[in-house]
Amino acid sequence: MLNENPFQDPLRFERQVPECVIVIFGANGDLTKRKLLPALYRLAFDRRLSAGFAIVGISRTPLTDDAFREKMRASVEEFSEDTKLDPDVWAAFARGLFYVAGDIGDKDLYARLGAKLGQIEGERHTGGNVLFYLSTQPSQYAQIARGLGGAGLGKGNGWRRLVVEKPFGHDLASARKLSDELHEVFDEGDVYRIDHYLGKETVQNILAFRFGNGIFEPLWNRRYVNHVQITGAESIGVEGRGAYYQEAGALDDMIQNHLLQVMATIAMEPSASFQAVSVRDERSKLLRSIRPMTRDEVKLNAVPGQYGPARIGGNDVPGFRQEEGVDPKSQTDTYAAVTFFVDNWRWAGVPFYVRTGKRLPKRVTEIAIQFNSAPLHLFNQDSGDTGVNLLILRIQPEEGISLKFLSKRPGTGMTLRPVSMDFNYGSSFGERSPSAYETLLLDALIGDPTLYTRQDMVEASWRVVEPIQNTWNETPSHFPNYAAGTWGPEAADQMLARRGHIWRKP
Amino acid sequence: MSATVAPEAILKELASLWTQEGKQGDAGVLRACSMTLLVLADFEEDPAGLAETMAALMPEHPARSILVRVREDGARAMSERVYQQCWKPFGQRRQICCEQIELTASDGALGDLPSVILPLAVPDLPVILWCRSSRLQRHAEFGRIAELATKVVVDSALAENTSEALQWISEASGRGALVADLAWTRLTRWRETLARVFENRETLARLPEVDLIHVSYGPSFDTAAWYLAAWACDALEHVGQKVTPEISRQETSLRLELSGGSFHVALSRDEERLIAEVNGESNCTNLPHPTDYMLLREELGVVRRDEVFARTLESAAQLALSSK
Repeated sequence: MLNENPFQDPLRFERQVPECVIVIFGANGDLTKRKLLPALYRLAFDRRLSAGFAIVGISRTPLTDDAFREKMRASVEEFSEDTKLDPDVWAAFARGLFYVAGDIGDKDLYARLGAKLGQIEGERHTGGNVLFYLSTQPSQYAQIARGLGGAGLGKGNGWRRLVVEKPFGHDLASARKLSDELHEVFDEGDVYRIDHYLGKETVQNILAFRFGNGIFEPLWNRRYVNHVQITGAESIGVEGRGAYYQEAGALDDMIQNHLLQVMATIAMEPSASFQAVSVRDERSKLLRSIRPMTRDEVKLNAVPGQYGPARIGGNDVPGFRQEEGVDPKSQTDTYAAVTFFVDNWRWAGVPFYVRTGKRLPKRVTEIAIQFNSAPLHLFNQDSGDTGVNLLILRIQPEEGISLKFLSKRPGTGMTLRPVSMDFNYGSSFGERSPSAYETLLLDALIGDPTLYTRQDMVEASWRVVEPIQNTWNETPSHFPNYAAGTWGPEAADQMLARRGHIWRKP
Repeated sequence: MSATVAPEAILKELASLWTQEGKQGDAGVLRACSMTLLVLADFEEDPAGLAETMAALMPEHPARSILVRVREDGARAMSERVYQQCWKPFGQRRQICCEQIELTASDGALGDLPSVILPLAVPDLPVILWCRSSRLQRHAEFGRIAELATKVVVDSALAENTSEALQWISEASGRGALVADLAWTRLTRWRETLARVFENRETLARLPEVDLIHVSYGPSFDTAAWYLAAWACDALEHVGQKVTPEISRQETSLRLELSGGSFHVALSRDEERLIAEVNGESNCTNLPHPTDYMLLREELGVVRRDEVFARTLESAAQLALSSK
């Protein structure tokens, strides 16, 4: 039997989704409305989906297929940022939308889903290929997997894949337990743990920047890099998600997954090829090389924070404890700053400062690589700034790369001043970048897990985050310790000052 | 029109445009460049339409573009105009600008063109030559101009003698030059659609049954027919099926059929739609007639050897020869 399609031409043809069905649990939820459906519609608009592609939405609310289509149309119209709804494209796309109502605890739901999938396979020739997307509460993941397994839907004529959203557990033990439960039905190779940060164009661009060019990699080590700062800042508060956020906190919500994955991408060794397994192996190896901290080390190298009320731009902004649904004595960290060290030959001794927080002065995610300064200062330098050579990889909002270096100030005399050379991804190429969900959904449907998180990475991340979590849980903090609209607690500045460094203000 | 153009004066003019632009806007201007796009066109072509196409290409392929409009005139004459193409992406404060140079030359001055183009090309970046005129492609000086380019884009469908045009492209490619033919680029969506048909495992399993490839074509589709037939034959050969294609003329457009036993796949165009039929079941997709912008956009994205094209080109050139 032939396995390879001889008509394919990867140099010219766009990557396309094969005939398949995507089953979305939590089809009436926010994620489906805001991200998944707009991303899938955009793939249809770009002709990336096959003619037989179908979506089955699952939720408790009773709806007909047509009512579901109408609801999804409204979502696409409201939340597609840069794609207008084309009536013809929508009509073809909507023909593949179906809905099954039911409770995920009810066995009958899975039997009805099985019947629906059989019907779709017959009518739309989907070849038995199904991707299950769990857009529900994480506590329901195991139950859904069991339900699918019980109804025999975990295996079929074609491939079966499962996509789960973070958090993947709330500590190492729960992450392992969740993984074991999913593995009862799905092999690890069929479980796609989505981290939307990895789908962002600039995070992928880090790999292109590091491994597509020959000039940066020789500098990418302890000999030339002084330290690295990774910032994931948000200007908003918890926006009505206080009750959820209270359980998670900044460390678990951002650092354990997004920012450690970004750090792994920055610091990993070059992979032998761009095959999913090689790239993921290297990312995983890096995460396993991060040194877990003892309790005493945590006190010196990790700072929790929680924002207090403030007046920003003439508006009174509540503190976290004043937010709706939040315990007035909450010990949840809305800010976390951690100094990580990577125990390998490339990075030994180089601090990786990672910080994230809510209600910081602006929304920005970026990586700043601070290079060592020149060994001698021959010239007058305007700023007295010794850390002049700085490479900044901006992930959001304006994706791009900047390099700061010294240049002679025009005029007589040899006075230098720092200048910045900018590459702006969005404006150097005027083309639209796909959203992270478009990229990641396309990858999962095609079967490319490169940008997805593997279980060993999840465990490696928890291994370094858990000691911090435990120490913070044991020692109550004096919250709030930073005012909304500032760059975090003073203790975070002191953490860097001990090594002679200061936080950038992006 | 004078007989000379000074490249250094053009470069100076470009530099002053940038300085001016930088002074005007408070948010500054971002200079973007990934290649030099050199366009050779007959003087009679609508310059506004061409400028529009080149401007549309800039957001994805920012380039210093050099448009050379050539008059059918033996006397040596050349002139130049320099300007910028700027745009501000949605939501961005800074505008992006690309440099555009327009040269007007007579046939008689074509020999002087390489010495003008060479200093104007952006250093260290690829030079793409898009020749829009089969007359200029046949010009004695064309070879010297093409030597400046990393990749040469031509359109065999415009040639008076299409078979000869295909031989020329094939020979150039055989010598190792990077050449593209827009007659091949127009087939990408056709090929993609056929490839998608065989993404279905059941259909793919029936591929070895195919023992007939039939391409029928109307006027101005002969190179497309040779390409399509050659490509389908090569793909089948890849899976161990040796099939000699049948190529015949029809009233209009293009049609490709693969069949054998009870298995039949066909692709054809109906107005702005591409129809794929698999054993009697048909599926239509939107297929607008490709514009120059769409074709060039694809070719500018492939600045490397295209193995599928190179292989198909060789077979298509043979089909063209045998069809004489």
